Amino acid sequence: MNQSVIIKGNKTGITVILDQDLAFETLLTEIKEKFKESAEFFKNAKMAICFEGRKLTTEEEYRILKVIEENTTLNIVCVIDKDEERERRFENAVNQKTNGVEEDTGLFYKGTLRSGQLVESAGSIIILGDVNPGGKVIAKGNIIVLGALRGTAYAGITGNMSKFVVALEMSPIQIRIGDVIARSSDRKNQITDEGPMIAIAENDNIYIEPINRTVLDDINFI
Amino acid sequence: MSEVIVITSGKGGVGKTTTSANVGTGLAMLNKKVVLIDTDIGLRNLDVVMGLENRIVYNLVDVVEGSCRIKQALIKDKRYPNLNLLPSAQTRDKTSVTPEQMKKLVEELREEFDYIILDCPAGIEQGFKNAIAGADRALIVTTPEVSAIRDADRIIGLLEANEITRTDLIVNRVRVDLVKRGDMMSTDDVVDILAINLIGIVPDDENIVISTNQGEPLVGSEALAGQAYMNICKRIIGEEIPLLQLENNNGFFAKLFGMFRTKA
Repeated sequence: MNQSVIIKGNKTGITVILDQDLAFETLLTEIKEKFKESAEFFKNAKMAICFEGRKLTTEEEYRILKVIEENTTLNIVCVIDKDEERERRFENAVNQKTNGVEEDTGLFYKGTLRSGQLVESAGSIIILGDVNPGGKVIAKGNIIVLGALRGTAYAGITGNMSKFVVALEMSPIQIRIGDVIARSSDRKNQITDEGPMIAIAENDNIYIEPINRTVLDDINFI
Repeated sequence: MSEVIVITSGKGGVGKTTTSANVGTGLAMLNKKVVLIDTDIGLRNLDVVMGLENRIVYNLVDVVEGSCRIKQALIKDKRYPNLNLLPSAQTRDKTSVTPEQMKKLVEELREEFDYIILDCPAGIEQGFKNAIAGADRALIVTTPEVSAIRDADRIIGLLEANEITRTDLIVNRVRVDLVKRGDMMSTDDVVDILAINLIGIVPDDENIVISTNQGEPLVGSEALAGQAYMNICKRIIGEEIPLLQLENNNGFFAKLFGMFRTKA
């Protein structure tokens, strides 16, 4: 039996698995045969249809649908897209609309963020001042402290590991990037007079390093 | 049998948090399962004194509001694994928690711990009411100053009104030299006024300042205040330990203090 076209039924509709290598015209004939055979079975059912196994252009999809329509009494309500690439593109587009754009815009806060104070943003945060112990900065995007970070900073709070934290003086109590948490060392009085630092997450660890061109070049806005 | 102890004073700055940290640590050193709860929402300190600030992920308010499980919020001490801290929230205020919620929380913790120690905020408002809600007994911390004693007296009255009658007194920051000169009230004078059981006397000791800044409680150390706190812990678990008679051993302690000074 020819297996170049397989029809599978499920609760809401049917999945048509198509042979990847067959010429489109031949495939179309196969589809015509297959659906003719099962026309009796489907009768006037209202169904969603989904194509798998082969990438179809819009035109090809339209022609297949037309063949099905002509040879059966089946009512195709909609076509469900299983195209992974398209799905990914779609997802990216949605993400960009909901996250990306906003995450790369910044909220400015001027002043010292003292114990018990909290600055939150769905974007990035730039603090023009210090963050004292007990002060908290929470951002969906990046955090930049133009001063000393002595408190707590959470960047990429929705789980985005590609975010970073920058501070002119880096001596935080805790830094969280995405799902990774790093806490300060238990030994006190560490002098962190080493200039501006950047904290990034990599392989479930948070790395703090001096800012230089190489580090900056590695930053991607995803 | 687990015991819930609230450490309170009324007045601020007399040493509630220091006492909580040292008593909690001391009880853990005596092999008890201990949880310290910082009930001072909005002005948390106990985590800093314990040196555990950098480990805080969840806090008391998160637990009460159900955003996390109790287990997730408990911070294991870095030295004593049977000592745990439930930190307070810094970005909230006292009204984030109700006495009923505290009571429920304490009841849940009772199942797992021998001692639940509540570090009470200063004052007699909501924070105080939260802290005493689930307590079986109270340790009243005071210094030998009229203002602190006045507040301690008020607190004892309020505790009695809330049916907490097991109250013990800790007289903190006693300076033997001042007492000797008659410039400071003696422990006996304080006990005379407050008329509750004296459970410990803690001398004024500069090592406390050092230990607080390092985030390591002093209890168990050679320092005089460390010994005093360990004695208090032993009395809490029911041992009979004679009080440090600072006045009588003045010469000896003066020498000891002298030694600490030269060291520091």
